[in-house]
Amino acid sequence: MVSEHGSDRPRSPAAGTDPLGDPFLRTCFAVPVPPAAFLHRPRLTRRLGRVPDTPLTVVDGCAGAGKTLLVADWAARLERPVAWFTVDSCGRAPGVFWAYLLEALRASGAEELQDIGAPADAGTVDHGLLTRLAARLDARDRPVTVVLDAYDRVTALEITDQLGFVLHHAGRGLRLVLVTRVEPTLPLHRCRADGTLTEIRDAELAFTPEEAAALLELHGLHLGHDAVRALVARTRGWAAGLRLCALAARQSGDPEKYLKEFEAGQSTIADFLLAEVLERQPPATQDLLLRVSVLDRFCPDLADALTGRRDAGPVLAELHRSNAFVEYLGHAWYRLHPLFAEILKAHLRMRLPGLESELHRRAARWLRHAGPLSDTLAHGAAAGDWEFTARALVDDLALGQFFTGLRSGDLDALFARMPPGATGPEADLVRAARELAGPDRDRACVHLERARRASARAGPGRAEVRLGCALLDTLDARLAGAPDRAEHAARTARELWRDLPAALLDRHPELPALLRTHLGAARLWAGRFDDARAVLSEAAAGRDAATAPPREEALGLLALIDLLTGWPTRAERAALAALADAERFSLAEPAGLDLVHPVLAAVAVDRDELDDAQALLDRAAAVRPVPPDPVTAACRVIARACLQLARGRTEAALETAGTAVPAAVASPWAEDRTALVVAAAHLAEGRPETAVEVLRDAVGRDAACTVAAARAHLAAGDPDAALHLLDRLPADRSGGPAVTVRALLVRAEAAVLRGDPATARRLAVRALADARRERLRRPLLEAGPSLRRLLRSDVLQGALRSGPADRPGARGRIPPRTARQTALVVEELSGRERDVLRRLARMMSTEEIAADLFVSVNTVKTHLKSAYRKLGVNRRSDAVHRARELRLL
Amino acid sequence: MRYEIRVDGQMSETLAKAFPELDHVVMSGQTVLFGPVVDEAHLYGLLARCRSLGLRVLEMRRVPE
Repeated sequence: MVSEHGSDRPRSPAAGTDPLGDPFLRTCFAVPVPPAAFLHRPRLTRRLGRVPDTPLTVVDGCAGAGKTLLVADWAARLERPVAWFTVDSCGRAPGVFWAYLLEALRASGAEELQDIGAPADAGTVDHGLLTRLAARLDARDRPVTVVLDAYDRVTALEITDQLGFVLHHAGRGLRLVLVTRVEPTLPLHRCRADGTLTEIRDAELAFTPEEAAALLELHGLHLGHDAVRALVARTRGWAAGLRLCALAARQSGDPEKYLKEFEAGQSTIADFLLAEVLERQPPATQDLLLRVSVLDRFCPDLADALTGRRDAGPVLAELHRSNAFVEYLGHAWYRLHPLFAEILKAHLRMRLPGLESELHRRAARWLRHAGPLSDTLAHGAAAGDWEFTARALVDDLALGQFFTGLRSGDLDALFARMPPGATGPEADLVRAARELAGPDRDRACVHLERARRASARAGPGRAEVRLGCALLDTLDARLAGAPDRAEHAARTARELWRDLPAALLDRHPELPALLRTHLGAARLWAGRFDDARAVLSEAAAGRDAATAPPREEALGLLALIDLLTGWPTRAERAALAALADAERFSLAEPAGLDLVHPVLAAVAVDRDELDDAQALLDRAAAVRPVPPDPVTAACRVIARACLQLARGRTEAALETAGTAVPAAVASPWAEDRTALVVAAAHLAEGRPETAVEVLRDAVGRDAACTVAAARAHLAAGDPDAALHLLDRLPADRSGGPAVTVRALLVRAEAAVLRGDPATARRLAVRALADARRERLRRPLLEAGPSLRRLLRSDVLQGALRSGPADRPGARGRIPPRTARQTALVVEELSGRERDVLRRLARMMSTEEIAADLFVSVNTVKTHLKSAYRKLGVNRRSDAVHRARELRLL
Repeated sequence: MRYEIRVDGQMSETLAKAFPELDHVVMSGQTVLFGPVVDEAHLYGLLARCRSLGLRVLEMRRVPE
């Protein structure tokens, strides 16, 4: 029986594209196989045949109405493959739903969908992904047919909206068939009105007397016309009722009499007939049916594990052949008809009370060795066997899935039910992982310590448990700002790696990705930029969905290193790459992006795009009010303080810089950057000596601080001391353009003060050219008064215009919002120009402004022209906009 | 709140076990399930359970406490 369906195997998903790495998923993509006694109903398949004409078909009927097999029968007769997807628990989460649906599409041969991305977060799907999907489908020559069976299991309302969006925009590239017990919330009335909907509902699904007669014939029952009519009336043509009726009647010995009695009865049909049919099965078959009712799907071996016998193979084949209870999914897997499964479960509870959890336990144990982890965990949890369930998770090395991947939400929800009484190192590891992944991070160390002790009590402990400990320890240490502990834990993890089977490790790419990212963050906190970069680059290299959050986090950390070493454009590029990756994998506001916004804000401050910087910082604080780790906390403090400095709010900047960032070990760069802000505040307030004092420790250690100290010396009127400091800065540690531009400007200003205008001009030209490449404006605005005069001089601006052109590569990825060409140095507006601009901002006309200011119209025009030139614009609205941006109004 | 759900046909004792939180009474050609319903979610859950057991709901009404 099983072998003859060999050709019906659905195409297995291509390696590496399966979102869950789960071969059992294929049973969700399998077109159910109609049994031998299935009645082909041309009247209905013809209606479905109209599908190529309507984008949407809804087969909408009660349980047991024969919806699934009708569509399966139709699909099997089509010439081209159908993407079939039986919705299960994934209907609760849009991310998982779309990941599976995309997989079903790819498995059906829609090759052009390979590179459109996939959701990596269970709860969300990016709108961009849906748009790409719709566009690719729209571009197809012939439509792809998608069948979503059991669509009533979709409980997340947004999924239906998203499906409606894709359907609407896929044009004629998508034909969607929904098989459901509940009417979907799509705008069906509109589709009905414009004729784009085919509906098959209960009334049509009901068997006509002719069809019922044919079905009964297939079951070996030859009834008279009146008997069939009476039967159809009693069952209302309900497929499940007719099927059970045929089985019960045939088994009764006297079908005619049996049916007469049934017609006169008043019982609920399925309930009554199922009990009758079940009653007449051999005891072994009854026992098997009751026991497998706890399973969503099963193969003979799994059924045997539940019965403790070895007869499930032939029993299941016979049940399928006689069209009783079971459906065949291919690959030797079956499932109970959903209607019968529910009723059988009620019988199980009645006849074998208390056995249910034991059955779940047996199923979990069988699946532990041969099935998908998610099913193992579900049955382990249903059995209430939490030690086993936690152990299954830890032994599968799946602890990392609490932090990344589609399963994280499911895992969290599943183990949320774990009672405090569950013991063992694995249970404590699971608790620690949930706490570290959620808001209760402080409590994690207690459980982590308990797991470690429990595992150590019996010798060195199992490698799986120790690896779990090492992973969580690395994360915990990183969050606590304890780089040495993180380093130690990561080393332990690497050593354990060798003791564990390679095949198991290969299934968990998230594990090394998480370890590397956490280790990189810890190294970054310790100021070991090169070592951090080495591991973070590896973590940032992947491309799959399972590792998306740690990858984006690694990109954010790399961006911060670039920022701290003075490479704003590189920092921006890495940060934008993280954002693009998050979009590709539909991560809405993932933890991995926590660093991206403050880093981009700091870059914006250096470019004097202060409103953008403010918006980015506001966004970061809104998404996650409490920064998750010391690195992010420090980065936010520094970016905010720099913004306040740039706005001239030195008191506020000093206060911000004084914000304590809790960490086990202080971070050298966090301290240096704080000193930098404090020194700049003192400098702005005219206290250069204090500024020099604040930077004393950092000089020589950090290039930016050394340059800042040199600038303070200059402000104190000591160009020689400034140059001396700069000369001592080693060339290989001079930092990127954000540092070198500032150093050049200090040197130029020193040259002015020493009465060497030629050198000053030469240095200033270099500084301006470098600044323009990186679009740096803040260093120029910070320059002392004598230098600003030089920078504004026409000679210099002229030299710059003929200077090096912008590198195209550096600009390519900058969002258009900030890519505006702007003059490098803003010449201060005169009082009159300001007056004119202010009135312009109030929407006054030139004439009105002239009257208001008691000057001629021509004078207003002259002021305007001059203001336009200084602001680098040529339109009124732009002038107002730009002046607001620069806070000139 | 308390509800009464009237379904078509006489339910067996076994099937009634699928609604352990409700009492039931079987009458001519119909079964009435009745009892406390926690909230809307529970109510819709009961309807879905009827649907998945192949029961035809004839009437459903809230009854005074």
